[in-house]
Amino acid sequence: MGRKSKKFIDKKKAATFQLMSRDSADDPGFGDAPGGDRIFVRVDNNPCSVDTLEDDGGGGGGDDDVFADAPGDFDDGEDGAVSASASASGSGLPEHVRREILELGFPDDGYNYLGHLREIRNAGGGSAFYQNPKARLDLVPKDVKAYDASRIQVPKVEGNPHNESIYSVAANSVNVRVQKAVDPEVNALLDDSDLSRFGSDVEDLEEDFVVQANHPEGEDSIVGGNSQCPRMPAAMGSVINGLDTAAGRERQIDNGFPHEIRSRFVERNDKFDDEKPRERRPLDEQFDLLECQEYGSEDDDNDDGYGGYMAEEDESLALKLKQAFDDKVVDDLEIDDKYRVPADLLKDNDVKSKQLQDSAADLIRRCVEYADKYENENDDKEVVIVEESSDESEVWDCESIVSTYSNLDNHPGKIEAPMGARKKKLASTISVALGAANPLISLKGKEKLPVDYLPRGMKSSAEKVKGGSVSRNEQPRRKQHGQESKEEKKERKAAVKEERREARRMKKETKELYRCEAQQAQKVAATTGPSSIPLM
Amino acid sequence: MDYPIKPTKPGLEESSEEILRIRITLTSKNVKNLEKVCAELIRGAKEKHLRIKGPVRIPTKVLRINTRKSPCGEGTNTWDQFELRIHKRVIDLFSSQQVVKQITSITIEPGVEVEVTIADT
Repeated sequence: MGRKSKKFIDKKKAATFQLMSRDSADDPGFGDAPGGDRIFVRVDNNPCSVDTLEDDGGGGGGDDDVFADAPGDFDDGEDGAVSASASASGSGLPEHVRREILELGFPDDGYNYLGHLREIRNAGGGSAFYQNPKARLDLVPKDVKAYDASRIQVPKVEGNPHNESIYSVAANSVNVRVQKAVDPEVNALLDDSDLSRFGSDVEDLEEDFVVQANHPEGEDSIVGGNSQCPRMPAAMGSVINGLDTAAGRERQIDNGFPHEIRSRFVERNDKFDDEKPRERRPLDEQFDLLECQEYGSEDDDNDDGYGGYMAEEDESLALKLKQAFDDKVVDDLEIDDKYRVPADLLKDNDVKSKQLQDSAADLIRRCVEYADKYENENDDKEVVIVEESSDESEVWDCESIVSTYSNLDNHPGKIEAPMGARKKKLASTISVALGAANPLISLKGKEKLPVDYLPRGMKSSAEKVKGGSVSRNEQPRRKQHGQESKEEKKERKAAVKEERREARRMKKETKELYRCEAQQAQKVAATTGPSSIPLM
Repeated sequence: MDYPIKPTKPGLEESSEEILRIRITLTSKNVKNLEKVCAELIRGAKEKHLRIKGPVRIPTKVLRINTRKSPCGEGTNTWDQFELRIHKRVIDLFSSQQVVKQITSITIEPGVEVEVTIADT
């Protein structure tokens, strides 16, 4: 069978169209006609022009094959553009569109809200709508928006029978406010933008509320001069002055200390204006005292010519600052940009200001002192004060206090671990064994115990019992079978019972005695035995 | 390629008379809808007394995927065989393009893809 001489269709010279669904109602060609929801879209790039199968407005050129996978998109894009331009001119929507928009509850303001809605139908592109026969749509509550429009004044429209007056009225009523018919209480709550009664004070925190909370009230407050705390203007005024001068001096003093930290500190203090400072409580004073005790030495050491700067906002710090600056004269230190070590300053003879040299010398001295103190502190042992009892006669020591016997009579032994006692007993036993004349260890008695090597305490009782039982056994000689009297039989049986009872007791005691050894032996056996089962 | 711009069609009547070779390819995953559409097309063409060839049933393509049933590796190694069947029918027509438009403006079942190739003359 050879090939066909001519194919029916040569795909390379043909135009190929795919049938795709029209997705949106914006397409003017769309309709409920049998073919209205579909459109042919060209999907190939062949350079042949076929004047067929193309609709009036739709179906573009060679772009379609790019969108072949997304049928509706290209249609949408083009048709949407067409309709957008159409509707851009005021409320130029076609009538049926406007009606539909109004039916859905959207306002008639010229915008096509249907572009945001999708029609439910069995269109292509993967969307399939299946009728649910069991759907009870009458049970679904309607989305009713209640509007009370009874009192609305709508501006009059000239009656034009040609236009449908409903739409012109609707257009005129766009700007009319309609009050929603809801509960007045709900309404009030919704409108209430204040909501102050629901808010809490905590929400009004500023960013530095911690700082502000710690800042106390009183004459030590640091302010930048504001009128919110009118209670103590005088005190604050003085502090203001003090700080201002301090700030002024600050700018002139630039002896190598990081300047920006100070200025930041001053700025932060300005924020204290808003809150009134917290009252000092006795706890605060205690805390301060404790703080000074703990960290006070550091303050002293740092309190050199550069000023003691601490990171915490202390209410007395401002005062200290003020005082510090009051003491010092405004000095006119000549500082170059480069920081110089105090030793260099001292050595450098051509430093102009004497004060600078003095301060450097002072600093060096203090550094040396501090270093010495730091080094020497480690050598000192802690001096612990031990209370001594005053009365010499009553000398109690731990031994004699236990009993009133004197040490001559009372010989307290050393407290040992229990194993020590065992070993001693074992040692005693071994010594007996070593000293025994007979090299054989004889097992005697019912339990077959090495009687000679039992611990002394038990040995005597064992001997007694064994002896007793042996003697008892010997005495009642066995009579001939069948010639025992009843009493003798009873006695015999009683003796046997007694014997057994004794044996049991002995066994129990021995077991108790040697329990420790038994456990040790088991432990040893467990650890020294083969540790794993070989699998191979 | 100036498809967006439609010239005023003086020769529209001519082109509608011209007999074109048209190949309609119908593709679907389910046979029932496909056969339904096929039958409707052929019926429509026969009503218009067009020369029609078809429907040619192209062999079904079966796309298979074999996966382990188990989400983990444990258990007997059981496998699922999933498959997707694609059916294709080809119908050849000789008709004018207007007629084709009418024919294809029938109710299309969901899931059936229609491709129309028109020979260049």
